[in-house]
Amino acid sequence: MSALLEVRGLAKRFGGLVATDGLNLDVASGEIHALIGPNGAGKTTAIGQIAGEIRPDAGTIHLAGQDITRLGVPARVRAGMTRSFQITQVLMNASALANVALVEQVRQGHSFRLWRPAARDERLLAPARAMLERVGLGARADVAAEDLSHGERRQLELAMALATNPRLLLLDEPMAGLGTTESAAMTVLLAALKQEVSILLVEHDMDAVFALADRITVLEGGRVIAHGTPAAIRADAAVRDAYLGAA
Amino acid sequence: MRESPRQIFVLVASFALLAALPWIAGAVGRPDLVTLGSQACVMAIAAASLDLLMGRTGLPSFGHAAWLGLGAYTVGILAFHARDLGPPWDQWAVQAWAVWPLAVLVPAALAAVIGALCLRTSGISFIMITLAFAQMFFFLFVALKTYGGDDGLTLRRRSTIPGIAPRDDVAFFYVCLTALVLVLLLLRRVAASRFGTVLDGIRQNERRMMAIGLSPFPYKLAAFVLSAGIAGLAGALHVNLFRFASPDLLHWTMSGELMVMVVLGGLGSLWGAMFGAAAMVVLHAVLAQWTEHWQIVLGPILVAVVLLARRGLWGALGGK
Repeated sequence: MSALLEVRGLAKRFGGLVATDGLNLDVASGEIHALIGPNGAGKTTAIGQIAGEIRPDAGTIHLAGQDITRLGVPARVRAGMTRSFQITQVLMNASALANVALVEQVRQGHSFRLWRPAARDERLLAPARAMLERVGLGARADVAAEDLSHGERRQLELAMALATNPRLLLLDEPMAGLGTTESAAMTVLLAALKQEVSILLVEHDMDAVFALADRITVLEGGRVIAHGTPAAIRADAAVRDAYLGAA
Repeated sequence: MRESPRQIFVLVASFALLAALPWIAGAVGRPDLVTLGSQACVMAIAAASLDLLMGRTGLPSFGHAAWLGLGAYTVGILAFHARDLGPPWDQWAVQAWAVWPLAVLVPAALAAVIGALCLRTSGISFIMITLAFAQMFFFLFVALKTYGGDDGLTLRRRSTIPGIAPRDDVAFFYVCLTALVLVLLLLRRVAASRFGTVLDGIRQNERRMMAIGLSPFPYKLAAFVLSAGIAGLAGALHVNLFRFASPDLLHWTMSGELMVMVVLGGLGSLWGAMFGAAAMVVLHAVLAQWTEHWQIVLGPILVAVVLLARRGLWGALGGK
């Protein structure tokens, strides 16, 4: 397994708070890698730096061998790495289909066309419909995002990230706010994606993490306290103390 | 942005009314109404161009009057120098087909440079920096004594349009109305295009747009330039309408008025900008006859519209 994402010595401090402290992380091609840790462990800051929204103080990030440490968010997406958001970020007054079609349009890279109407362009709509079908929103394509249920919006959020056709997905708590049934459905959906896209998964839902992850990295206080297979992590004494203890 | 049946009806009725305005003005013996109609069309073009920025892209430019003024002065200054130029330039400098496109291109070119600087900021900073640049142009034209300084610059005669007598106010009204219709149709088309879809996305959620791989800057800049060019056209019509350009056209109060027109009509609604502009022009004319402190009356009307019809006049028409 060659490393698709290579994070080395990533560091970020906000004033006196050390949010990321020499983080090393590898995501192999074809794996689901979970990043877990208690609240305030620095998971979201780490994802922010990997996605390019937060500039690290030190360290390097490589995607498929390319140094992307200095690239902005859009350039990283074009390089093959897309994030989803913990708090759903979709265009609320547009339909689910229009949201995904917009992603398709950006991916195709023809957004400087000022004349032809975009809303009836089958070159955008056909792939967008297929994507909604895949995440199980096919029947809800024409519903405005603001009228979708929370769970459906999480599916839409995933569809938008997937529509960029990434090699690596950064999923920031895809299960956030989902009920048990919805979480189970999302778990099945993510497991099915594994064939074609590698995933770095930040998640609090331990059932989902242990069901999906090939490897797990545990953060605490901005540094890695353990990494390994789910079985090894479950057995790790330090992890139990820091995090899983109560469970 | 589908128009509701009621909105389509109002649109058709409004344009029919506008098209018939010269006859109505003649029938009621008020030929000055024609000029008022021209003025409403011109301001509607300027407001619609600002709506592309404010309403569609989410960029509240507080310096839009600069482009209006630059368009006006481009026409005025070329006409001013026409007599010093040798043929064929002396003729070209007063021809609408030559000068009006320049009145679009000059503001657009300057907007490309100034926009590139302003768009490094956002929010309040963007409002302030666009205001600052516009005020720079205002003081520039106040200082340019050759072109009348703060007295303004008189246009000896309107730009030449083949087949139209320069003093024919009715014909010029139809020129303004045609320009308005073309601009609105263009902007309607742009709004529904891929480009317009991206601008919508940038307004609603710039972070998400970046996260799907879009760099917002070129699109924002393109919207800024397009909007400045259209405002320049409004400026060219404005200077022709009154045969006069003054620095007041570039003053920040004019930028403010344009913003009010957009909000009054309904932010991001395109057609709304037209109704906002018409409402302002007509209110100004009516109230100013009544009292010179006409803004005292205008203020409460604006507050009422903003509070009662949060999506502006156009939104109120659409129902819901």
